[in-house]
Amino acid sequence: MGNELTESPVLVIPCSGIGKVHGLISREAAYLVTDELAPKQTDTLCLALLVKGDDEAVSAVRSHPCITIDGCAKVCAQKNVEMAGGRVTKAIQVAESFKNHRGAKPGNATVLTEDGWTIAREIADNVVCEAARVHADGEVAR
Amino acid sequence: MSAEITKVGVISCSGEALPEGTISRLATRRVLELLRPEVTVTLCLPLFLAGNDAERKFARTHPTITIDGCSKQCARWGTEQHSGPVSAALVVSDILGTESTGCHRSARDASQVDKEAVWEVAERIAAEVDSVLAKLTPGNMAVAPASAAQCACSSPVPGGKLNINGRTVSIPGLPLIFQQCAERGISISDGDGAALLEAVKIYHSIAPEDEAEYRSALLTAYREFRGGTKAAQ
Repeated sequence: MGNELTESPVLVIPCSGIGKVHGLISREAAYLVTDELAPKQTDTLCLALLVKGDDEAVSAVRSHPCITIDGCAKVCAQKNVEMAGGRVTKAIQVAESFKNHRGAKPGNATVLTEDGWTIAREIADNVVCEAARVHADGEVAR
Repeated sequence: MSAEITKVGVISCSGEALPEGTISRLATRRVLELLRPEVTVTLCLPLFLAGNDAERKFARTHPTITIDGCSKQCARWGTEQHSGPVSAALVVSDILGTESTGCHRSARDASQVDKEAVWEVAERIAAEVDSVLAKLTPGNMAVAPASAAQCACSSPVPGGKLNINGRTVSIPGLPLIFQQCAERGISISDGDGAALLEAVKIYHSIAPEDEAEYRSALLTAYREFRGGTKAAQ
């Protein structure tokens, strides 16, 4: 976690799946939130740290509400957070967002097109709304 | 030639918190798409916990190289803990040292520094893939069955086709090579195509007697590529 936070952050955790464009969209959507749209209210952490079983990462997901963004139905981010004992307040699947963009050409696992960035921004907006709700409901400090 | 090919697994940490995690991810993609497309496969690291048994056996069915962004080496330790031993473990911060200082996490902010960092790490991974394959002998070769876990997109990217001396030659990742040439400022009116030839020769073996024909064919293909991309505008 690296942002200068003024509030206890909501953790935004993408799967960053490496095989498909969906993973890249999840990753860039998370950065849009943590770097641009809600940098003081949200932060991210390396999902790989949870795979490793890193104590600090496990502690972080247990003490902060988490929003996961998964590329596919295997929902790796959601499952890894839950296995670590974290609380997922909203689990988003990128594949679901494609239903509103039939025929879109979002790019590939390496680079996003304009269509891809549009979908990433929609997901990011969704995450920001959820993070605002979590803060408003006072769910951030456990 | 056997229908089954030994493939090296390349597992990236893809760490979201650091620019080096983005570099690990993009460099791994570069190896899969362009540098060693025929002999590499990958898997999402989180699948070792979230996936099924076939996915957890990945490192036991493939000689595996892990690419980590930082010294915490999550990909290495996660792979060894949940899947199997790794053949080699690379760390981006060790490879780049201070060169990664100006790099970024998001593609929105990517600059020439990021691109060069990705190329440097990708070439290091490719060298490690060659080293791992060179060590394999028929007696200890791990052959991945067709049903083994791998990402759907880890198959090679479509190559470009050239007509060389009356035969069609396929070059894996030619559009990506052209994209890199465009980013390096190689013009469509670039003389006799020598710069294009040198770029393609890095990834594709070309006999000296065929070079003139390749230069001409590459120039034609590059003009078509630039004409069909926004980069040429």
